[in-house]
Amino acid sequence: MTGSVQADARRGGARILVIEDEPGIVRALKTNLSAHGFQVEPVDTGRAGLNAYKRRRPDLILLDLGLPDIDGKEIVRAVRSDGATPIIILSVRGAEREKVEALDLGADDYLTKPFGVDELLARIRVALRHTAAPDAGAEPVFRTGELEIDVSQRLVRVAGSEVHLSPTEYELLRAFASQPDKLITDSMLLRRVWGPEYGDEAHYLHVYVARLRKKIEPDPQAPRYIITEPGVGYRFVTNRASLA
Amino acid sequence: MNVSSLSRPWFGYLCALALTALVTGAVALIRVVAEVGNASMLYLLAVMASAVLFGRGPAILASIASFLAFNFFFVEPHYTLSVTSNDEVVSLLLLLIAGVITGQLTALLRQRAREAQSREREAVVLYDVVRLMADPERERALTAVAERIRTELELSAVVIVFGKQSPIRVQADTGDSEAIALAREAMGPAEMVLGGGQAPTASQRGQPGRWIRVVPPTARTIARLRSDRVRSVPVNLRGQPVGSIILVRKHGARKFSPANDRLLSAVAHQLGLALERLSLQREATEAEVLRRTDELRKALLNAVSHDLRTPLSSIMASAGSLRQDDVSWTEAQRGEFAEAIETEAERLNRLVGNLLDLSRIEAGSIRPEKSWYDLGSLINEVAGRLRAVTAGHKLIFDISEGLPPVLFDYVEIDQVITNLIENAVKYTPAGTEISVSARAAGDEVQVQVADRGPGILEAAIPRVLDAFFRASDSGTAKGSGLGLAVAKGLVGAHGGRIRVENREGGGARFVFTLPLHAPESEAAAQKKETA
Repeated sequence: MTGSVQADARRGGARILVIEDEPGIVRALKTNLSAHGFQVEPVDTGRAGLNAYKRRRPDLILLDLGLPDIDGKEIVRAVRSDGATPIIILSVRGAEREKVEALDLGADDYLTKPFGVDELLARIRVALRHTAAPDAGAEPVFRTGELEIDVSQRLVRVAGSEVHLSPTEYELLRAFASQPDKLITDSMLLRRVWGPEYGDEAHYLHVYVARLRKKIEPDPQAPRYIITEPGVGYRFVTNRASLA
Repeated sequence: MNVSSLSRPWFGYLCALALTALVTGAVALIRVVAEVGNASMLYLLAVMASAVLFGRGPAILASIASFLAFNFFFVEPHYTLSVTSNDEVVSLLLLLIAGVITGQLTALLRQRAREAQSREREAVVLYDVVRLMADPERERALTAVAERIRTELELSAVVIVFGKQSPIRVQADTGDSEAIALAREAMGPAEMVLGGGQAPTASQRGQPGRWIRVVPPTARTIARLRSDRVRSVPVNLRGQPVGSIILVRKHGARKFSPANDRLLSAVAHQLGLALERLSLQREATEAEVLRRTDELRKALLNAVSHDLRTPLSSIMASAGSLRQDDVSWTEAQRGEFAEAIETEAERLNRLVGNLLDLSRIEAGSIRPEKSWYDLGSLINEVAGRLRAVTAGHKLIFDISEGLPPVLFDYVEIDQVITNLIENAVKYTPAGTEISVSARAAGDEVQVQVADRGPGILEAAIPRVLDAFFRASDSGTAKGSGLGLAVAKGLVGAHGGRIRVENREGGGARFVFTLPLHAPESEAAAQKKETA
């Protein structure tokens, strides 16, 4: 824990715009993020948030979906039409649909209130890392744990022995590996692997994820690579962000 | 013979006279052939025929006419109305009396027959109305009733309308469009009276608020309304008019007969009864909903006062301790306080989650966003998340190989399994075994959470899944009584079932099912896989 705090402090200076109207949460976020070396600018309305975004060009945005003035989704839309600044959504339980919509509009990740500090820091690290190295899937050989993807030869090995994947399973794994540790929604995966016309037919996806898990996970019942994000999508966990 | 001309009164009297003339002719003819003593009796035929065909009045006229004609033509002296023989006087009087009595009796019979006929028609129509009103689709039912009345009474149009006070707000119409328009125009003034009121005064007009403009009906409308083609029969609900049946006659058709009036008011009464049934049903449902809401509110208050306060107290105590200046806590102690805050906050969060779910279930607003998932992965994920909670127990998993993908809402079924495992942990002693299994059985998948705790009192089993019910008889119930009710509601929303039973060899078993085959989507998935 102390190690990573120091790492953050060293990297330091990342500017985070917090758009949130609940003072208690703002206070907790500010205290914690500042302690980890981030510069925090809190605003309590969507309009102020958009102004601050244009004026200050933050490195990352923490955005509450339930703002008093503007629908949080509109802010995601506005920021995405302008640039790739990572956005992490803060939402409440039960607002799954809204959350997924914001993610499909281009938000990078989400946290469900109430959330823990560790979780928040991990998400921020992953998001910042993706801005720094957006094309993780371009490496010729991708390694995490015992899993190895040789992109040039279209080979997948688990613990050194080759695993046979169908073309769809391979594409799915590539889609995961191209965005390590990042949240990927069901519809993003469907569009990427099956094409745009399959945006709403998630059953293909979950069936194939189960099959892929059987082939690459050491224990498919307790997956360590492909983690389900309930009701939203998946996350391909490599822990690279914390290693970086 | 035209039916309508038959019932015109002057025509009946004319026919009675004609019949008498006919009989007179016949008697004259007979007299030419032979002397017949009782020829006057032939006149009774004319009287009876008049009575049967035209009723009492024409029958009496026929009697008198017969009396006069016989006297005039056939009684000595001929062609005068004077009578010389006493015999003839008696015979003439007998003719008159017999004629009047026969006429009366026959006319009475005829009237009875007619009444029976119209009663029968009434009964048939009413029976049809009751039958048609049984259609649960109200508008269709009313349209059918309107059509039935229209054909029965040979009308241009029938419109049935219910206003704002009635439990149903429906309009039904049938007939030609011009006549329907006429009927709708007739409805206008009634609504204006309902929506009307005093016009605002000059000072009031400056005030905020809503004013209903009262438009007086135009002269033309009034004239059309006065046209006696349109007729309205009120429909009452508990003595209050709530709607009406509006009838438009065909051009040139006669006015409604008393029999038709009676029929219409019977139909209106029947519609009123149907409405009353409907509103009683509605009231009963509302009362039930209120009662249950009230129960829920009371239970909720109990839960809030106890279950929410307990974790809050620990949180406040821990936070307060951390802030104390006069005590120097060791690092380990501070860590303990922080951990207590975290644990209790998580407990609070789960409780609030269940409360939210329960209120959504009670409000019927659960809409599972289903997709195909691997149930085994879900169970393992829940187990992973609950590791801290289940640390004191032995968890055993038995998820059958080759369990097909199941269609469900990930978040909601996650909640169900979480609640079942938490429940098992709460009510069984540490160190005992909790087994979670999943297997396909026929066209459903069965998930089972079984423990080796004390089991459940047989008497309590039917209520265990009810909200706020705690089976524990000790005063230290650890649960909120929410988890199982939420599980039941969420499984129900998925079209599954949940049941509780005691196991052989001790312990309780909670089993829920989810339907395995949603034919279309699965067929599509299969096709895609084999492709």
